[in-house]
Amino acid sequence: MFGEVVQALVFPGFLFTLGLGFLFEWIERKISAHMQGRIGPLIAGPHGILQPVADFLKLLHKEEIVPAFGDVTIYKVAPALYFLAPILGMLFVPVTGIEAVATFSMDLLFVVFLLAYSAFVVVILSFASESSYTIVASGRLVLQYVSYEIPLVIAVVSAALFSGSLSIAGVVRAQSATWNIIYMPLGFVAYIIALMAELEKPPFDIPSAKTEIVAGWLTEFSGRSLAFLKLTKEVSLIFGGALAVALFLGGPLGPVPQDAFLASIVYTLYFLAKLLAVALLVFVLRTAMARLMIAQAAELFWKILTPLALAQLALVVVLRGV
Amino acid sequence: MAERRETRKEAGAGLIQYSTENLVPFGPIHPALKEPEYFKLYLRGEMIVDVVPRIGYVHRGLEKAAEQRRWTQNTFMFERTCGICSFAHSLAYVQAVEGLTPYEVPRRGLYIRLIVAELERIHSHLLWVGLLGHWAGFDTLFMWVWRDREIVLDLVEAIAGNRIHKSIAAIAGVKRDIPDSMKNKIVERTKYLADRAYFYKHIVDTESTLLARTRKVGNLKAETAQKLCAVGPLVRCAGLARDVRADDPYAAYGDVPIDVVTRTEGDVHSLLHLRLDELVVSANAIDYALEHMPSGPVRLKIPPTIPAGEYASHVEAPRGELFYFVKSGGGPNPERVKVRTPTLANLPTALELLKGYTMADVPVVLTAIDPCFGCMDRLSFVDLDSQKQWTWTGEELRQFGIRYYFPERTI
Repeated sequence: MFGEVVQALVFPGFLFTLGLGFLFEWIERKISAHMQGRIGPLIAGPHGILQPVADFLKLLHKEEIVPAFGDVTIYKVAPALYFLAPILGMLFVPVTGIEAVATFSMDLLFVVFLLAYSAFVVVILSFASESSYTIVASGRLVLQYVSYEIPLVIAVVSAALFSGSLSIAGVVRAQSATWNIIYMPLGFVAYIIALMAELEKPPFDIPSAKTEIVAGWLTEFSGRSLAFLKLTKEVSLIFGGALAVALFLGGPLGPVPQDAFLASIVYTLYFLAKLLAVALLVFVLRTAMARLMIAQAAELFWKILTPLALAQLALVVVLRGV
Repeated sequence: MAERRETRKEAGAGLIQYSTENLVPFGPIHPALKEPEYFKLYLRGEMIVDVVPRIGYVHRGLEKAAEQRRWTQNTFMFERTCGICSFAHSLAYVQAVEGLTPYEVPRRGLYIRLIVAELERIHSHLLWVGLLGHWAGFDTLFMWVWRDREIVLDLVEAIAGNRIHKSIAAIAGVKRDIPDSMKNKIVERTKYLADRAYFYKHIVDTESTLLARTRKVGNLKAETAQKLCAVGPLVRCAGLARDVRADDPYAAYGDVPIDVVTRTEGDVHSLLHLRLDELVVSANAIDYALEHMPSGPVRLKIPPTIPAGEYASHVEAPRGELFYFVKSGGGPNPERVKVRTPTLANLPTALELLKGYTMADVPVVLTAIDPCFGCMDRLSFVDLDSQKQWTWTGEELRQFGIRYYFPERTI
């Protein structure tokens, strides 16, 4: 029992995920800075590695201003609900071995539900803060959500179909010989682009476009709520990236030593390396693009990515003969 | 597109009753605006049906202040009208003042004016290209372009001693000479900047997300531009070759060949191209002027009083045609100075362009005119209900201020 609690709260659960969130935020800032000819974070910690933590702590003790109009209860509760989704989701993604911390027979469906849930919570909290900008942002978010969700789910489903399992551990186990990405490059592309839309990275930062609608659905948040909302965005990257690793890149699998303890360490390192590869892809893409408009994004997903994902699904059906 | 046109027609009819539900404020404090200005956007969904501007947040009373300062002092004050095209303002002012005097400005001074004005144009155009990248959500372009802008700012500092407010224009000349030893450096740097302009044109043409945001966004017809009195790059991108440098040459523009760049598309993408092309034209003009610069003095010493009379001068500022009207009573101070900045001339066009587009286009289209609200804001009164418009004298304004702040006091 104690072991499970430590696993859920410290490693590879809650604290590990938070640490990764901060680390990858620093990597993102550093990479985009260097690509843009800047230096990036430099002061807090060696090469500014603690800057995301410092920003988070600073926001924690800032004053929180609650809008006079709007639903105050939801406004206060929703950030916690939003924070919950990726943290909970990470428990189902295998890190130290084939088995994740929490697992049940059809946990892949639950994880997909969590992706939908976080978009739903954002809509609720932007309506709760009730300002012109958040309302416009939530409209954009819903449109973006119905655009990216379909190719995302089709990509996930084709991975599950290919591996013949609806549990993440099953999908990972099926990749012990070859990674899914070899047979499913289109599905991987569709997943990564849909993931960027889910994370609101450029060119899909439409619901939080700062030159158009101030901070989008984040506009009315300050202090603690803002700190957690921003942290959730970072952790969502870890969750979405980890899911991509599990579904397409063979999860933490790879050649490992016999010893069980050493093997779990090596598994974790494999996982981190693959996660870093996925994250680097996302970071480089986001730095090299301008923001699309919502109609253009919807067009991209409906006209290009959904057929792409469907083609992948058809390919999987042909390959597996189901 | 058909839907967009339909909405424009409806908005033009002026029959829609607006409620506060579909009003989204854009400004006065907004991340897309460098300066405070308020635009009421009436939306249907994401579609803009009408825009109502409320200008005047950065009115600073420069024209009034000019009447209390000496002719020379005003050169430096009007330079501070704008933080970007500062030299264009001081140049237009000194030209207007010179128009009242019988003195001939030395030729070398005129060439130096041209060189500084063109360097300023390069700096302003680079600034705009970078900012457009930022407004379209392309921060990488913004960072790269602004790094290159440092080169031209360093050049300006080497020539004039200051980066932004050059303070080099003077009545009947310029305050500093360009030494021959500096020529090579200037030519080398401007050549590099012209190369970079070609590189950015390549980016602007190939980056698909940026193309999606700028191509066919805004559709300025030559008739619209003419009817709404657009100036500068905005009117040139609609296909009208209007440029004060070529139409009414001032400084040394009569001797230096200037190609007037025009485009016909009238969208934001063509504005990007146009400004980058103009950057190359400016770089070439600087090289030509440095090569053909005559020797001699750069400035005349003139007495502090200016003969009585009225004179209007105009220059092609980076944003468009800039007007200065100066009236002298023969004393050491001007009696009246009136400024008409390109932003004020271009604002009606920008608002007209916005109708029928979406919220996401606002920062891109509104700022495509390169607005400078600090330059623009003036004081006049409009009663929207009765459509009455009037102006007040200084004394009336003072009385109004007293009534406003101390209603209980009887004057």
